Amino acid sequence: MTLSYFSEFFKLCFHITHRNWIVFKKDFIANISPTVADPALIMVSLGLGLGSYVTNVDGMTYMQFLAPGLTIATALFTSFFESSYGFYVRMTFENVFKAMLTTPMGVTEIVVGEMIWVGLKGAVMAVGVGVVLALFGLMQNPWLIPLLSVVGFIVAIPCGAMGLLSSAMVRNINQFQTVYSFVIAPLYFLSGIFFPIEEMAPAVRTLADFFPLIHGVRMAQAIFWQKEILSTFVIHGGILVVQSLVICAIAFNRIQKRLVT
Amino acid sequence: MIQARSLEKAFGEFKAVNNISIEVKKGECFGLLGPNGAGKSTFIGMTYGNVQRTSGELSVFDLDPKTQSREIKKRLGVVTQDNALDESLSVYENMMIYCAFLGIPRSERKDRVDELLDYMNLSHKKMAPIQTLSGGMKRRLVFVRALLGKPELLILDEPTTGLDPAVRHLLWGKVKELHQAGTTILLTTHYMHEAEVLCDRLVIMNQGQVTAEGSPQQLIQQTAPGFVGIFGLEGKIKIQALAEKQEDWHLHEDSSGIYLRTQTLKDLTGIHSEHGLKPLQIRPSNLEDVFLKITGQELSNDA
Repeated sequence: MTLSYFSEFFKLCFHITHRNWIVFKKDFIANISPTVADPALIMVSLGLGLGSYVTNVDGMTYMQFLAPGLTIATALFTSFFESSYGFYVRMTFENVFKAMLTTPMGVTEIVVGEMIWVGLKGAVMAVGVGVVLALFGLMQNPWLIPLLSVVGFIVAIPCGAMGLLSSAMVRNINQFQTVYSFVIAPLYFLSGIFFPIEEMAPAVRTLADFFPLIHGVRMAQAIFWQKEILSTFVIHGGILVVQSLVICAIAFNRIQKRLVT
Repeated sequence: MIQARSLEKAFGEFKAVNNISIEVKKGECFGLLGPNGAGKSTFIGMTYGNVQRTSGELSVFDLDPKTQSREIKKRLGVVTQDNALDESLSVYENMMIYCAFLGIPRSERKDRVDELLDYMNLSHKKMAPIQTLSGGMKRRLVFVRALLGKPELLILDEPTTGLDPAVRHLLWGKVKELHQAGTTILLTTHYMHEAEVLCDRLVIMNQGQVTAEGSPQQLIQQTAPGFVGIFGLEGKIKIQALAEKQEDWHLHEDSSGIYLRTQTLKDLTGIHSEHGLKPLQIRPSNLEDVFLKITGQELSNDA
């Protein structure tokens, strides 16, 4: 394990990330539209529509309450779909990893490269949505926007690893629907994006804490509302890092078993 | 170049590779011949560390694929059984990204890709999406991909399966050129004729084991020498009666006819002149007959 070994390792990881970027930019508009359009749609329908009935949530307008969570939800969706459907198609239908593994590339490099990619994508998406929402005056202090990239990154990694894990475990592509319905959608709705989670039954709160999204939402709320940023980052950021490590390790283990026999 | 001793790979109870010992020497074209499921691809996967051996010894370039696969993979190229081309990228992008994987310096990549696309007659498809390529073009592109790193060892895993004769002959020509230029080649195939055309030495594998080893000519001379006449099934009873009297005549039957192998050509022409049975075809015995003799079962006929 010399220095040159690690320099080669990171170069190979970078090539995987770079490959995904080349593919992504080919269909830039199509790839970016759901992440921009979905939060916009929700802001209009829920924020303006429902928000005219719900006028006070923890002392804020409903739009103000909704903004940080939606920003982070884009990181969840972009990373999960990339590493579930996207990765699965490359692994099973196109078999591209089989060919990559005949080059100096190894499974570790592939997984790390994919994770860096979803992390970067999560960071960029979170900042992008954050900028738009800040223009609507939903952010106390727009100078804090760069911090959203950190949150986007460390939310996208465990969520992406959940996608990878499901790629290794599903028996056909339709089974992602089940993962979506029973894991991703509940996460989205029960992670304190749409209402203060403190109102929920303790069992639901405990369950939500177990998954990464809620911690990212807490961090984004701290940024948007400019409240207790440092302590939130330490506590929830720390939890996210631990969750990332655990989920990535499990996902790597499963993917390796699929690719190397 | 490759040394395997008592090599085994088990998937649960099933032994895909069962105690094989093989040596591939520098500069030779070595064939692994056998039906589907014989263990050929499993062996190949073990050479670059994508399949982990269960027991036995294996070294490639005197390195251990279990622990030094990255070093090994820098020095070999693989024509994979599935094309496994990246459908999201164009021909050129596919090759450029593989140059990057192989650590080829940025300044050399473009020339290397152009040169090899030209070598495989694919220059006109440089910017094409992968989906627009025909089966033969995709296969040629996989050859380009395998050659990007100027490999010392070229592994061909069923390189011509499913291709039309024109493409097959083109690829055989390229393999021969590479072999003559000094590249060591490890080839798997279930086409007997392909092995006979390309290989200096080969092993016949069946059910995970090596059942015979030698040059194509040696194997034919030792195991199934002589000539083969193929007769229509209507002559079956007569030929069986004749063959019973001759110890060194060998009969085999399949849906297309009766195969009779004799030691001399005269034996076969005699059947026509003396017994009025006209053979559909007469040919010298080949590796297919060797395989039939060894395993008692038939292999692919469509080579």
